[in-house]
Amino acid sequence: MKIVVAYKWAPNPQDATVGAAGAVDWSRAKPGISEYDPVAFELARQLADATGGEVVGLTAGAKRVDATLARKAALSRGLDRVVIVADDSLEGAGTTELAAVLAAAVRHIGDVDLVITGDSSVDVGAKMVPTVLAGQLGWPAVGEVTAVSGEAGQLRVERAITGGTQVLEISCPVVLAASTDAAVPRVPGMRDILAAGKKPVETLEVAALDVPAGGATVTVTDTSRPDLKARKGQIIKTADPAAAADELVTALRGAGVL
Amino acid sequence: MSVNTWIVVAGDPAIGTLIETARSLGGQLSAAVVGPRAVAETVAAGGVGKVVWFGEPGQAPVEAFATAVADAVGAAPGVVFGASRSSDRVLLGAVAARLQAPVLAEASSVSAEGDGVVVTRSVFGGIAVETVAVAGPVAVILDGGPVPAASGAAPVEEVAAVPLGMTVVETHDSAFEQVDLGAATRVVGVGRGLKTQGDLAMIEALAKAAKSEIACSRPLAEGLDWLGKDRYIGVSGQHIAPEVYFAIGISGQLQHMVGVRGAKTIVAINSDPNAPVFQEADYCLVGDLYQIVPALTDALK
Repeated sequence: MKIVVAYKWAPNPQDATVGAAGAVDWSRAKPGISEYDPVAFELARQLADATGGEVVGLTAGAKRVDATLARKAALSRGLDRVVIVADDSLEGAGTTELAAVLAAAVRHIGDVDLVITGDSSVDVGAKMVPTVLAGQLGWPAVGEVTAVSGEAGQLRVERAITGGTQVLEISCPVVLAASTDAAVPRVPGMRDILAAGKKPVETLEVAALDVPAGGATVTVTDTSRPDLKARKGQIIKTADPAAAADELVTALRGAGVL
Repeated sequence: MSVNTWIVVAGDPAIGTLIETARSLGGQLSAAVVGPRAVAETVAAGGVGKVVWFGEPGQAPVEAFATAVADAVGAAPGVVFGASRSSDRVLLGAVAARLQAPVLAEASSVSAEGDGVVVTRSVFGGIAVETVAVAGPVAVILDGGPVPAASGAAPVEEVAAVPLGMTVVETHDSAFEQVDLGAATRVVGVGRGLKTQGDLAMIEALAKAAKSEIACSRPLAEGLDWLGKDRYIGVSGQHIAPEVYFAIGISGQLQHMVGVRGAKTIVAINSDPNAPVFQEADYCLVGDLYQIVPALTDALK
């Protein structure tokens, strides 16, 4: 079974700063393997080991996604090889454009049975790249996947739904987005990191792929900080917990919320 | 302005906000509904112009109709809305791919302007807000809102669809009791400051005394499995706006706070005086939750 894990090399918004006019400054936010992607790597590795398959990492973005550090971070987490579409034309690419590039790369890799992704990217977090990717390929997609077993051709997929879980039988090829707790990712050791330097890397440019043109133009007309409610920030001393509790309850009743 | 608008519906008719938003744009509003006929009829009565329905799904999950939905919407492209639920995203993703349409998630307002639309949305996990103008087809994700009240009777047009190769073979109920946090006026949220699962009893006692629902930060629902996933508050979990929210043993990372910023009042109880939660709280109690929570429970009795 040939499994592709589509991952992202991205910074965490928690480390970004936002100016008064809403401009996001990423200069202090270092990129890394996106928060939930190690779960997808682990799920893919376990399935490949159980079925005798291959795990191919795939990412697309500006040139920095092909840095040595970025390559090793991915390759040390259970991948057999990696395909990287590194092209500065992808700086700030939207969901649909990114998914179209990934779909073209999946076609380029060829004979792929399954694409696994993480739950959502740490920076954009729309949970839409896997579903648009599936649409570009004409494959089915399922999200919130908690377990995968089976073999090339026919998979048994468990996913979370409102109020429970469901087991699906799915004919390959398919795109699956893992839930955040679908697997406990391994922590790469020194041996994994050293081995990562020797694994095959294929680098592609967008021009080498067959990517359809966008269907609409998007123009940013305004950015701002979120309009947060003003908070009281009232400190209640807790040296005497009972007195603190009384003070809080009185304050909440006074504010009319209890 | 005569833009076509569509709503894609993946088996759950809780799309009241989508209908309201789509109608405000004028033009022809159609809904592409996957699921049992009853869902199609609820949507048809809810204020849309037309429903395209793909027949009884049988053992096929809603995602199996993604291509059929893309075919229907692709025949008359425009502004396409979907709710922020997993299966709805799959249908919307198939449509966006068919139209090569940009996807705008976390949208808060959509208005018609000229031949296109203007969308305001939260970006990068809620750290900023962006307004964009779009010319051409676009896929927009909003909170679905409530099930629409019956106000009309749009025609339901049945379209024969060949589902993709996937079948539901088992369904299991969660071991956890289900909860609708969105409807709760008071919510007690608990995080990793809680040391053991057994200590949840102390939180339950507080929730009972405060007539509150219990919620949690992500690790308690995903990973530790102490509480059901529908109780997890955060950027990819529930977004709530209760009268009062108690953040107990929650550090208040951005990822969590995005989900509670609508709360009228926020109370934070945490042992770390530098916890970010205190920057967004109305009442700040720095101290040991194991002392403060029982005292608060007593004070509320």
